[in-house]
Amino acid sequence: MSYAVTITDLEWKYEHRKNFALKKVNLQIEENTFLGIVGANEHGKTSLVSAISGLIPHSYNGIYRGKVEVFGQVVQEMDALELATQVGLVFADPESQFTAMTVEEELVFGLENMGFELHEIRERLEWAAEITMIQDLLDKSPYDISGGQKQRVAIACVLAMNPPIIIMDEPTSMIDPLGKRLIFDILRKLKEAGDHTLIVIEHNVEQLAPLADQMLLVYEGNVDKIAPPREFFTDADYLNARGVVTPESTEFVQWLKAEAHVPPETPLPITLEEGIEITQQALKSRRQM
Amino acid sequence: MTKTLITVEELDFTYPDGTPALLDVNLSIGEKEFVALIGQNGSGKTTLSKCLNGLFKPTRGNVIIEGINTRQKGVIKQLVTKVGYVFQNPDHQLFNRNVWSEIAYGPRNIGLSEAEVKERVEEAAQVAGVHEDTFDTHPYFLDKGLRQRVAIASILAMRPNTIIVDEPTTGQDMRQSIEVMNFLRRLWKEEGHTIIIITHEMRIVADYAERTIVLGQGRVLLDASTREVFSQPEILQETYVEPPQITRLSQALTSFGLPRDVLTVEEMKEAFTQAT
Amino acid sequence: MTTSTSSQAVQQGVRVAKARKTLLGHVPISSPFYKFHPVTRLIMFVFFGVIPLFIFVPEVNFALLLINLMLMRWGRVNLRGLRIYMPIIFTVAIFMFTVVILAPGNDPSYTPLQAGPITIYYQPVFFTFAAYWRLIAMLFGTILYFSTNRERDMLVALRTLRLPFIASYVIGLSIRSAGMFMEDFRTIREAEQARGLDTKAMRFSDQVKLYMMYLIPLFSIALRRADEISNALFARGYTLTGRVGRGGKRQDYIRSLYKIRSRDIIAIAAMALIFAATGYVQMRYGTFAIEHSPLNIWLRGQLGIPF
Repeated sequence: MSYAVTITDLEWKYEHRKNFALKKVNLQIEENTFLGIVGANEHGKTSLVSAISGLIPHSYNGIYRGKVEVFGQVVQEMDALELATQVGLVFADPESQFTAMTVEEELVFGLENMGFELHEIRERLEWAAEITMIQDLLDKSPYDISGGQKQRVAIACVLAMNPPIIIMDEPTSMIDPLGKRLIFDILRKLKEAGDHTLIVIEHNVEQLAPLADQMLLVYEGNVDKIAPPREFFTDADYLNARGVVTPESTEFVQWLKAEAHVPPETPLPITLEEGIEITQQALKSRRQM
Repeated sequence: MTKTLITVEELDFTYPDGTPALLDVNLSIGEKEFVALIGQNGSGKTTLSKCLNGLFKPTRGNVIIEGINTRQKGVIKQLVTKVGYVFQNPDHQLFNRNVWSEIAYGPRNIGLSEAEVKERVEEAAQVAGVHEDTFDTHPYFLDKGLRQRVAIASILAMRPNTIIVDEPTTGQDMRQSIEVMNFLRRLWKEEGHTIIIITHEMRIVADYAERTIVLGQGRVLLDASTREVFSQPEILQETYVEPPQITRLSQALTSFGLPRDVLTVEEMKEAFTQAT
Repeated sequence: MTTSTSSQAVQQGVRVAKARKTLLGHVPISSPFYKFHPVTRLIMFVFFGVIPLFIFVPEVNFALLLINLMLMRWGRVNLRGLRIYMPIIFTVAIFMFTVVILAPGNDPSYTPLQAGPITIYYQPVFFTFAAYWRLIAMLFGTILYFSTNRERDMLVALRTLRLPFIASYVIGLSIRSAGMFMEDFRTIREAEQARGLDTKAMRFSDQVKLYMMYLIPLFSIALRRADEISNALFARGYTLTGRVGRGGKRQDYIRSLYKIRSRDIIAIAAMALIFAATGYVQMRYGTFAIEHSPLNIWLRGQLGIPF
């Protein structure tokens, strides 16, 4: 089994801050799996993914101890170009991640940095634009499109560079319902293709849980809990105390189990459909009684 | 029916570049309401909300705020004491050198005496939970949650009946969202303000708003109690809005006697117990 | 949801653009300017920006201004939008003439004219008048360019003229920052209005103070944003050394999309010719010197001032 990311005893403190943002983090992420990350703000989620993408320590000052490796290469020793070919990064704020004047320029910027030939640039541009459904936006300024469209452009930029690891930091937190849905559609496509290691921070657990192979809770600068989603959401109160919501149907089935409306061995649902099925069983069995 | 605060009649709004944003909007907002404005980006939510406080003047039709038509000239100072508007990014609305003058800015603009200004600032800061210790601090150095509260306090200081808050929970986690929403609920319940929020978070809408207005392509698609709005997923589908997951769970099982308008997990538990 | 329904949803979400957002407004895509290569348009900007420097006959500069306006009309620029430049046009006039009237300089050859209690000297005033129209002609040349071109056009043009990539990128980023700055500025003004500020009812000194106030939020936002942009550059694999992957040379994809056609060559040649001719007659014969201004000749005749 090969690991895309290996983090060993990572500690990180931002300059001018009192506390360590990350405290002795150890984590391994298997290649081509989907890791969902949740946790309250200011507990280290973004710091953790920044350490994987190399933004920490390359773009921030602070105290760094421990080691982060992507495919066996030490992040600290790689430059921006080497890192960008391994790790793609999509930020939360759709406004803030553009540097060019039109969507098309934005997409080709990374490809030009990677030294591709014109025909390769065109092919990758077209491919990434198609997956993210932004073909009609290429000629526009990144100012003039909606937040959801911007976020899809940001994803397209990363896809065009085709790094084996793609990190998204709350990609849907600032966009509207259709925008959110389209982004989860893209994530689903990527997961089905199975060619990327996907690391996604997201508050929207109802959409995230069905996609994730593993869910990770970051709390007080540490990996507090890591488990497949069905195990991860067994204790809504525990998660709630750490500022994380549980999908509503999962929470409801927990109650059904606690009240013995369903057999104790019933697995927890992570999708609405599963939730409906279990609730339906519970209603049926109660009718028969 | 309670007293009407804002009346919107046959409102059209077109941007200077010719983009139509609102078409034939008719609605009224009453005293002590908690309203959520939802819809896609580009559906006209923000444009409508800016018409509701007179920042934007109608292209056609009228907006009447407590008897004042927003088309009239020179009414800005009157309007801001009736409808307050909290922008999405607090950085855009904090332009004074410290928290105290930030909150005092509005009251001074409307020409109150320094004694009255002081009274207003202290009252607003207290309601918004902005502690006196921060009065001398530059707003830039406060954390985001506190900047947002200062922004709200600076609106409260003008004592408007209606407060519009643009995306109060965007980018915030569960706990921060609950904190700001509970605060808005308190303003509504205890202080008697009408609250209008613009949001994409359906859980927030379900938990807090009594009335929901759904906009789509510049028109009002639905305007009813939140319960009623979420029990019509077909119309919501047009705007890509999905009711909360628990609502959809209950709606899938109406044949077992579960209601269509469950809003929270707690309500669902109750509905399950009563269903036969 | 299948891909096809997502695409439909996407289609609905997109408004079909009929106009392009340029640096200073919107211009229809069908504008004839877009038939020309960006480099031609940039040379036209230089042409209209520099040619007034040869010309000190206010009538000719005024004619240039009219040509600029005609080109804008031809290029389907919304001329009513030009009203926003009126304040600057007047402010410059007031400033220049105030200075020259209050501090005309000291030269025995100046002809004093008595206008009520103040003494005005003819020569420096007419000189200022000529300089003013030269400035306004240059201003309209600039407005013409920025109303019909996007940032992208300018960068493509600069890179076609062999400006290094990094330099063009820095220019692009600055324009972009300026754009965001303006957007923030607009929002801040709205936020102030929402707190009861009525700028129309303000004294001038208070308005100046007001502009100082904008600096606080504008810089707060800019500071937070600077970090974000540098992170975005990092995430796209941009190295400080400008190193390009695979040991290759940086390709310029966007520039490869534009082709120079014969109409570009004709236009550039025509501009070069007019430019050279104007320069030559001015240098050699002083054709466009202030002494040749018909207005100057007429006024001197009326006032009895010899050359």
